[in-house]
Amino acid sequence: MTEAPFVLDEQLARFELDAARARTSAEVQKLRVDWLGKGHGVVTAFLGLLREVPKDEKGAYGAGVNKLKARVEARLKELEGAAAAEAARAAESARAVDVTLPPRVPAVGRLHPLTVVRRRIEASFRSLGYEVADGPEVESDWYNFESLNFPPDHPARDAVDTFFVKGGGTGRDRLLLRTHTSPVQMRTMLSRKPPIRILCPGRVFRKDDIDPRHLPVFNQIEGLAVDEGITFADLRGTLAAFARTFFGDRAKVRFGPTFFPFVEPGVDVAVSCVLCEQKGCRVCSGSGWIEIMGAGMVHPKVLENGGIDPERYTGFAFGMGVDRIALLLHGLPDLRLLLENDLRFLDRVWSS
Amino acid sequence: MKMSLSWLASYLPGPAPDPSAAAERLTSVGFIVEGREGEGASTVYDVEVTANRPDGMNHRGLAREAAVALGREFRDPGPGPVSESGRPAAELAAIVIEEGELCPRYSARVIEGIRMGPASAAVRARLESIGSNAISAPVDATNHVLWDIGQPMHAFDLDRLAKGKDGRPTIVVRLARPGEKLVTLDGVERTLAGDQLVIADAEKPVALAGVMGGLHSAISDSTTRILLESAHFHPGAVRRTAKATGMHTDASHRFERGTDPLTTLDGLDRAARIIAADCGGEVRPGVIDAVARPFAARTLGLRLARLGSFLGMEVAPERCLSILAALGFAPERKGGAGDVIEVTVPSWRIDVAGEIDLVEEIIRCVGYDQLPETLPPVFEPGESAESSILEDRARDQLAGLGLTEAHNYSFVSGAENAPFVPAGPGEPVEIENPLGEPFSTLRATPVVGLLRSAQHNVRRSRADLGLFEVARSFGWKDGQVAERRSAAFLLAGRRQSHWSDAAREADFFDGTGIVAGLFSGLGAPAPRFEAAPFPFLAEGRSARIVAEGGAVAGWVGVLASPLAEGWDLADPVVGDVDLDAIPKPAPVTSVEIPSRFPGSSVDLTLTHRKEIPWRLVEETVKRAGPAELLAVDANNRYSGPGVAPGFVKTNLSLRFGSPERSLSREEVNGWRDSAARALLALPETGVDGID
Ligand SMILES: [Zn+2]
Repeated sequence: MTEAPFVLDEQLARFELDAARARTSAEVQKLRVDWLGKGHGVVTAFLGLLREVPKDEKGAYGAGVNKLKARVEARLKELEGAAAAEAARAAESARAVDVTLPPRVPAVGRLHPLTVVRRRIEASFRSLGYEVADGPEVESDWYNFESLNFPPDHPARDAVDTFFVKGGGTGRDRLLLRTHTSPVQMRTMLSRKPPIRILCPGRVFRKDDIDPRHLPVFNQIEGLAVDEGITFADLRGTLAAFARTFFGDRAKVRFGPTFFPFVEPGVDVAVSCVLCEQKGCRVCSGSGWIEIMGAGMVHPKVLENGGIDPERYTGFAFGMGVDRIALLLHGLPDLRLLLENDLRFLDRVWSS
Repeated sequence: MKMSLSWLASYLPGPAPDPSAAAERLTSVGFIVEGREGEGASTVYDVEVTANRPDGMNHRGLAREAAVALGREFRDPGPGPVSESGRPAAELAAIVIEEGELCPRYSARVIEGIRMGPASAAVRARLESIGSNAISAPVDATNHVLWDIGQPMHAFDLDRLAKGKDGRPTIVVRLARPGEKLVTLDGVERTLAGDQLVIADAEKPVALAGVMGGLHSAISDSTTRILLESAHFHPGAVRRTAKATGMHTDASHRFERGTDPLTTLDGLDRAARIIAADCGGEVRPGVIDAVARPFAARTLGLRLARLGSFLGMEVAPERCLSILAALGFAPERKGGAGDVIEVTVPSWRIDVAGEIDLVEEIIRCVGYDQLPETLPPVFEPGESAESSILEDRARDQLAGLGLTEAHNYSFVSGAENAPFVPAGPGEPVEIENPLGEPFSTLRATPVVGLLRSAQHNVRRSRADLGLFEVARSFGWKDGQVAERRSAAFLLAGRRQSHWSDAAREADFFDGTGIVAGLFSGLGAPAPRFEAAPFPFLAEGRSARIVAEGGAVAGWVGVLASPLAEGWDLADPVVGDVDLDAIPKPAPVTSVEIPSRFPGSSVDLTLTHRKEIPWRLVEETVKRAGPAELLAVDANNRYSGPGVAPGFVKTNLSLRFGSPERSLSREEVNGWRDSAARALLALPETGVDGID
């Protein structure tokens, strides 16, 4: 039996040939039975022959067979692991999906462009120390007109087509839909002492026929600052600061004289067109300037009506239309788009 | 307002100004040139003149502004001499002003022996250049004066004016007698009210003062003798008449805003010269000039220190003086401690009433582009109104819950609004002068607007909708218009739709879910939903929202089907939450730390009549439960095979936990059994596994 090592090597080679064909768990299991099975297993048989080996060769023979057994067992373990992994992989692959199918998107809500634009404007002024104030949309004649230096029967009222409330009384108590958010300024002046720095956003109403440029309901943001020593130059500086934060660092403001009864001097405020760098474009009608606001120094009579001494305090006020600015920012041709709530528009306005 | 450049230039000695430069400069001082026609000398501007500057609504006045803006000389050549002859005018007519407050001055001239005919080519060309049709020499003469110096005038046929007791045709400026009638030049018969100022003759009204003349006394082809009216009326008096009669004329437009009280004579002379030149006739000597209230010029002071501190920039006193002088203010500097410029306000500047108006005159002529840009001093900012913060937080929450924000008109039609009135803040608020329908009524809930938005989208094949709007709801309550701050929403169509699942339509519980989600997001305790009928909601799928503490905080439900069909919708879920009724969370100063012990859950299945509300089941379990009972949840509801008709099976979970210890299975089961026993006490209720 001196050929024992040779026989073992030969068996090892045979085993490797069988092992190379065993892939699945069942095949690996059969391999285990063939080689290690009780009785008929090849290794088991070699172990059974140990009794017949001469005494002096038993040591070497036993060592050789044990070596074969160890190799077979190690290899079987390896093959069993691979087969199990293969089985698991097959099970996973049965659960594979087409990853390109449409996802299950939870409903995504969106804010209206008017809200987003209003908040952007508010944020610019909040950083300058302004706080937001609020008031009723149905107002009295006194708050909306008379206290703001629109005397009864004055032609200045002609420029402001007003909706009145049916059965809403007469004279200074007559109820109407506020035509600007200035009544909030008056209410604020009457309810506290300067310094005042407020923003008054809100819906306002004008009896305008509906067309691409006019809506009978629109949104305004007005601001008011009252303090000792507030100057006309402060108004210009404040609006210039706003223009830069809102329209970009290079934006400039231009004042033009105009008339609003509640301010003196009153100004139309234009911002340099940042779309064309003032070369002239469709948005600015070729002028390089876009009118976005009215403003002015609070009229002494208005301060007096608000219980504020105009000799001691001065102030400025400004107002702008949120709808118009939204139109400008989004390049919209028609204000009515803002009140149709067409989802095709509301979805697109944020992704364009 | 159309203004001719060559007409303006007649007041500016020297070469005619460049059309572009003049337009730009006029705009910079507040007379916005909005449009331009023609070239060179025949340039006509379209100028926007603000309501406070009636003095700029004529060529002389605008030329004065142009002169200052362009740094040119202004010169008024005046009317020139009027050659008079014959009997004095005062013997031919008389004037009585009864209402001196409303008519401070009434001046007139008499011209006799005219032959009606056209005005001279020069006059007609001027009028036509600014779009005013030539009519006849006397009418064109008065129009010319109006556009030249801003004095509205009227020409009466003197033979048509009734004579007074002394035999002279008499003009009486008085209030109309209620019910008096006058056919105006436009052929309309007008019934007058007692607060309307009229020009009458000795018997009857012959003109609406400052608005329009009467047809009967108007000049005609056969007229030979005329009385020219040139008056100053109180703006309010003219406005009242114009408003009441719905009339608006070139004359009323000026009188309403205020005319120069001192131009009546100037106007008469200018018109008389044109008429005499173009129609012949003789201008009778003298003016019949009734002055009820003499004009008193206003004097004002401008403190130079105040000017600087108000503007935030210095303007040299000399510059102030020259600007004010050019504008006709006759300024005089009173030096000394209070360095003041005293001015006399010119008669045509009715808008200048205080020091601040002088400040504006200075800065608009200096130029707003000279103004520095500074910021006001910093100060301690306050807190924004809680209401506006709450509204914006609600918007964020609702968008976070997957709804898209809408903005709608605040108006709806009366019919659209009517069904929702019972749930709104009060009786419908109607607009006295609406744009028509559907804009006649302030909405009782923003839901009405959302329905319109939903319809718009459904008609464009977008049927799966989740919309919200945070806005005011209106209603009359206790004699006042109440405004409720509403967070309204609408769900329609499929709620979650994906190729992997069967689609599910939005239902009632999506609605209450939005409400509960809003409360939760705003940090308020969960609201209760109470079955409550609302006429506009489907019966049985209609609830009142009740906040902790018992305040009613709105409503939610499925829109009743006839109403829904009217909006092209099927079973939309709608709701309106009163934001002010949501309890404000108190600031949390110490947060309870979650227990270290995991707690334990146990299920129960009970069979009960459909009519037994979940709330009763929940409360029964809670009453029977120990302190360790943390929550009761509904897992599942089933009716159908195996469950008797009229009954449902509800599977619920009881969640237990303790901050101090682990719970044993035995005690949890014991608690479950006592909950089951309590539930068995409900009528016709069984619990699985328990007899
Ligand atoms: Zn541009």
